[in-house]
Amino acid sequence: MLDKHRSAITQSKTRPRRWFRAGEGRTAFFFLLPGLIGILLFLVLPIFASIALSFTDWQLLGTPHFVGFANYTRLFTADPQFWTVLRNTVFFTVEYLILNIVVSLGLATWISSLKFGQRWFRGIFFLPTFTPLIAVAIVWMLIFTSGGLFDSLMERLSLPFSGVLNSQTLAMQAVILTSIWAGVGYNTVLFNAALDMVPASYLEAARIDGATAWDRFWKIRLPLISPTLFFGTVMTAITSLQVFDQIFVMTKGGPGSATATLGYAIYQRGFQNFQMGYASAIAWVMFALIMALTALQFWFQRKWVHYDN
Amino acid sequence: MKRSSIFAAALAASSLLGIGAQAQDSTVTITWQMWGAPNDTQLWQQLADLVTRQYPDIKVELQLSGWTDYWTRLPVLAASGQVADIISMQSMRMPNFYSLLEPLDDYVKDGGVEVADFETSIMAGLSYDGRLYALPYDVGPWMVFYNRDKFAAAGLKEPAKDWTFDDFKAAAKALTKDGTYGYGTQAFDFIAGPIALGAEYFNADNQFDLTNPGFVEAFGKYVDLTAKDKLSPVFASAADASAASGRFASGNVAMYIDGPWTLLTAQANADFEIGTAPLPRGNDRSRFITAGSGWGISATSQHKDAAFKALQVLTGPKAAEILGSAGRALPARLAEQTYWYDVAAKSVSGTRDTLQYMFAHTTPFRINEKWNQFENLVMQYVPVALTGDTEPKAVLADIQNQLP
Repeated sequence: MLDKHRSAITQSKTRPRRWFRAGEGRTAFFFLLPGLIGILLFLVLPIFASIALSFTDWQLLGTPHFVGFANYTRLFTADPQFWTVLRNTVFFTVEYLILNIVVSLGLATWISSLKFGQRWFRGIFFLPTFTPLIAVAIVWMLIFTSGGLFDSLMERLSLPFSGVLNSQTLAMQAVILTSIWAGVGYNTVLFNAALDMVPASYLEAARIDGATAWDRFWKIRLPLISPTLFFGTVMTAITSLQVFDQIFVMTKGGPGSATATLGYAIYQRGFQNFQMGYASAIAWVMFALIMALTALQFWFQRKWVHYDN
Repeated sequence: MKRSSIFAAALAASSLLGIGAQAQDSTVTITWQMWGAPNDTQLWQQLADLVTRQYPDIKVELQLSGWTDYWTRLPVLAASGQVADIISMQSMRMPNFYSLLEPLDDYVKDGGVEVADFETSIMAGLSYDGRLYALPYDVGPWMVFYNRDKFAAAGLKEPAKDWTFDDFKAAAKALTKDGTYGYGTQAFDFIAGPIALGAEYFNADNQFDLTNPGFVEAFGKYVDLTAKDKLSPVFASAADASAASGRFASGNVAMYIDGPWTLLTAQANADFEIGTAPLPRGNDRSRFITAGSGWGISATSQHKDAAFKALQVLTGPKAAEILGSAGRALPARLAEQTYWYDVAAKSVSGTRDTLQYMFAHTTPFRINEKWNQFENLVMQYVPVALTGDTEPKAVLADIQNQLP
């Protein structure tokens, strides 16, 4: 046995190099197999299945029938909700994205300017990121519920905002506020790390040349962290187009259709109304929307993102 | 080559084992899919044991999941062919799921089940297209729960069995004061309420017709209680179904509408006397819808006869007595309802009279396969009417639009 093994080793030494490489590749393939099977089975297959499903009328029970583009035509022409849902999703994304980037960049700059306690503040602001969003949303729902903490606070301040979750205009703002609270920490830490990487010599040179703090921020630090800023913007945009948890917990898409978004519409059509084919069609529209917006951002980055080389 | 032979051997071995198990074991294991909180386990297990006591060769294996999860799991399990032998079903979800169940009419006839022992409206509720798909274990109409102490303090008479909507509104007005509300509205009030007032949400073809004048008017009456007269707080679109019972228990609202299934919780949380009354009627005589749940046999079950034997025990008199006394369910078996009245609801006044009156005045609960969708839309859209932002008629048109 051992001899056989040894001879195999010596044999492989004398073999031509190309053959050896192919064997290595095969070994690597077997090592990769567990992960590959997982990805094929639970990622690639469902993705293709959902394309196929979007052309059927599958109701979860019973057999699906091929219906061609009927789901898509219904979505764009007949569904009274679709354009509202799309508008809500874009509205949420734009407002949330701008607020998130501004707040997290502000916090990151403030933290990096601190003489001490930087680590503590980074930790504190990062805490919500590893709290489950469902739990966060439940707490905020209790705060915003009519007669809750938020209402009594507003009453004390004599401000006319009460029962925000029952208001068609303010419910979305409550959802955005919750999302900001939960989502700002990640970008803060990200931008803070990037700010700390900006070479101190650049800033010092600028200071000696008489640049104000304002100039140093806009003309040196911001351009230097722009790749990180771009990454943060793209990732935040993608997750906010998919928003679901907060809405599921806080408003269920209501009141009326005030907070119905694409993510929630997919859940509603698929798992409440059992229209799996239709839900798959919405999912693919969402995919196309995310793709388009991400492509747009990549196109725009040429105008404002500076890479070192 | 080698791999495939190992695979073949494994396959052969497993099939041999399967045959062996069937041959040597005469006990049949029936799986039973049920919903419930973890602390309900003991109660349902008691019922499962009841089956084995009567039929030693039948063992019932309970598979419990939470209420919400149950309805997500059921279609998924069914689609992948893993559904249990006995499936639990709620009357309002029958149109979506009847295809999973075996029609029971022949079993009932051959098994000598007395249909007349069960309350009639729930037998209809667990049927679809004239065929019975499940045997019920509980039943209940939507009714009014009220705070007797507050009624007395406001100098109000206890509600009559046939009180009208105007009586109800007058009571709510008298009870609304000092920061507390006379009434706590919930989504389902806008379905059960209008029905009791004589309105219909369906047309003759069993399709939604929410904007018919009768329904718009009755729906509007319930909306006005909150939007115009401010007799109730607005419920939130994401409020859970027990929101009003919580406010009721804390003394924040004096009346709310729900089924007898909430009585146990209401009693446990309230430190005042609770009374029950039928839903208020319109100009015509009272009429009420009921809901309830039961158990059916999976259409794909391998042991349908054994499952039906088990089903007979689970919905039998002894099981009804256990569930009724524990307050878990107002039995669908008329004779055993007394256990619920005497044990579970003994400190709540008028429950027996109220419920017997209501069972004598039931109307068929008309639903179709879009029911679940309709209920969710009511939850989502009615708050807009309650805040007064949108007219009731426009809200109903919005909901109707989305029920293709």
